[in-house]
Amino acid sequence: MELALDLGSPESKHYRSWNERLRYVARYSRPEEIHVACEMARSVGVTSVMAVLDRRSEVALREFQVWRDISIWAVVPNMYAFIRDLTDRGMVGAALARFLRLQPKAMVATGVNALTALGPLARADFAAGALWLAEMELAAARGLHVRRVFLHPQLTEIGLAGRVTELFVEFARRVRASGLEAGLATHNPVMAFDVLGSALDSFAVFVAPCNALGYKMVPDRATAEALIRAYPGRFWATEMTAGQNLRLPEAFAHARTIGVAGSVVDLRAVEWLFDARHRHTA
Amino acid sequence: MPETRPLRCAVIGAGRMGMVHGHLLQVYPGTELVGFVDPQRGTHERLSSQGLRAPVFTGILELLASASPEAVFICTPTHTHLAVTRQCLVRPLHLFMEKPVATSVADADAILALAREHRVMHAAGYVYAHLPIVEEARRLLAENVLGEVLRFSAHAYISEVFGPKSGWFFQRELSGGGVVANMGSHVLFILGWMFGRIRRVMASTRSHASTVEDSAHALLWFDGGVTGMLDTSWSMPGAQMLDYGITIDGRQGTLVLGREQILLHLLRPIGDHPEGWSEIHASDLPADTAFDISPHIGGESFYRQLRAFETACRTGHLPFCSLDEAANTQRMIEGIYASAASGQPVEVG
Repeated sequence: MELALDLGSPESKHYRSWNERLRYVARYSRPEEIHVACEMARSVGVTSVMAVLDRRSEVALREFQVWRDISIWAVVPNMYAFIRDLTDRGMVGAALARFLRLQPKAMVATGVNALTALGPLARADFAAGALWLAEMELAAARGLHVRRVFLHPQLTEIGLAGRVTELFVEFARRVRASGLEAGLATHNPVMAFDVLGSALDSFAVFVAPCNALGYKMVPDRATAEALIRAYPGRFWATEMTAGQNLRLPEAFAHARTIGVAGSVVDLRAVEWLFDARHRHTA
Repeated sequence: MPETRPLRCAVIGAGRMGMVHGHLLQVYPGTELVGFVDPQRGTHERLSSQGLRAPVFTGILELLASASPEAVFICTPTHTHLAVTRQCLVRPLHLFMEKPVATSVADADAILALAREHRVMHAAGYVYAHLPIVEEARRLLAENVLGEVLRFSAHAYISEVFGPKSGWFFQRELSGGGVVANMGSHVLFILGWMFGRIRRVMASTRSHASTVEDSAHALLWFDGGVTGMLDTSWSMPGAQMLDYGITIDGRQGTLVLGREQILLHLLRPIGDHPEGWSEIHASDLPADTAFDISPHIGGESFYRQLRAFETACRTGHLPFCSLDEAANTQRMIEGIYASAASGQPVEVG
């Protein structure tokens, strides 16, 4: 089974205690620790890193890619940062701030695209806004070797709830036009397949919770598992340990029986796999 | 009301929370979204681009005349909640009120009185209380697993405010306050639900970044004799989403409620629970959620919250998250502000 490392910001994860949170956040705020984590991840078979792009992860991954070949799965746009900005600057101000951070060349490219969608953007059109934000973040990350691009789950779930198929179709089209693969990460895969319909094939992979306890599997474990089994090799599992409630070996074994192509594992899982390998070889 | 017909619901206020409720009302099988009310121009285009297909009205009377809702979700800025409630209750509409329900106890009581007068169902949007792990902790307390509860300590932290902020959310008279009213209140609600009516509060608050309070420490005394402390701040680095926890000591043991697990330490076996440490994880509990609108913030609790409200509207039995319970929370909020201002303990019962 293939592995990807979930390098979402450590501030966005749940921890068993405040102290554990601070330990992880402090550690993985340092670029050299992100490098070490990526190196550990590679050594246990991780081939990709999935990350919501922020300045910290972007810089660290760019440096890491100088000496290591690891593919990046970019999750755009960074909605946590955008929502925080919204409160202060409003929709236009928050978007403009992102635009002004771009390099001149990227500014011209995304600016021209924005001009073609000026009407919808001015009307705060959901798909136009989401796509423009995603495009700006991707443009800002041009120095990274990105292989796959995912829409941020906050936008994905809203888009699925509203059945905004055109958002997903256009997102996949633009991603493929830039020579990359589109992926879809969601906690609502059954709804996603229903909404996407014939556009399913535009997405190279689907990332969704999969574990033996049914944790975070919506609408229920049986239905979600039936979908994953029906599309062997299309899904990657998240939440494999059900929030650290299952041991990793059993979690992997279960995911294999369901037929996922790979698993997106977090830093704790990578640390565990790394230690286990060294215990085994010692 | 026949059980098979969806409950006709409208959303007042098409901001971020209004949008979330609108989507859930569309997805949830027991409800039908029949309208939005928002005076802002362009709201219809903005909402329909998200797939929110209900008509948008510029006023409540227009909504009532055209869409005939049976329930309304009030998601306007906090200071407007009482006025909006008055306008809605020209008809007996069930009320769902986003939190905090008011900017003062007087307003919260007035809203509750109106709801009672019109004999409608009501609920408040303290969404974290609907997480299965929180409900399980409350169930354990209700089953007296800890014996007599003596004390608690709680925290609610988030990384949100590290400098001057603007917008209505950071104006006390519009939002009802700072971190206490808008973040800490989630935990205050859960504490009230667990320990009952608040009696006395001693608190200190501090504004170190914005113009409202950014952190607070509060000592809380409940009618049943439970006392404890809440520490809350929205200027804590390290937590993109609300990080909260409650540790509760009883005569028979200790319960530690975290975001995804309960750690239980018992001095002797109680029911199915062994002596010593045991753990209940969120993944051991059924979530019963058909759609997760916000997996990383609130998760399944939004769906469960809607189900609790819809069930109440159908059965005529108030949910645990009623405005009565929210009024208790409002007393804690106001007590904290009053005590912080006076430097003295405040009786709020």
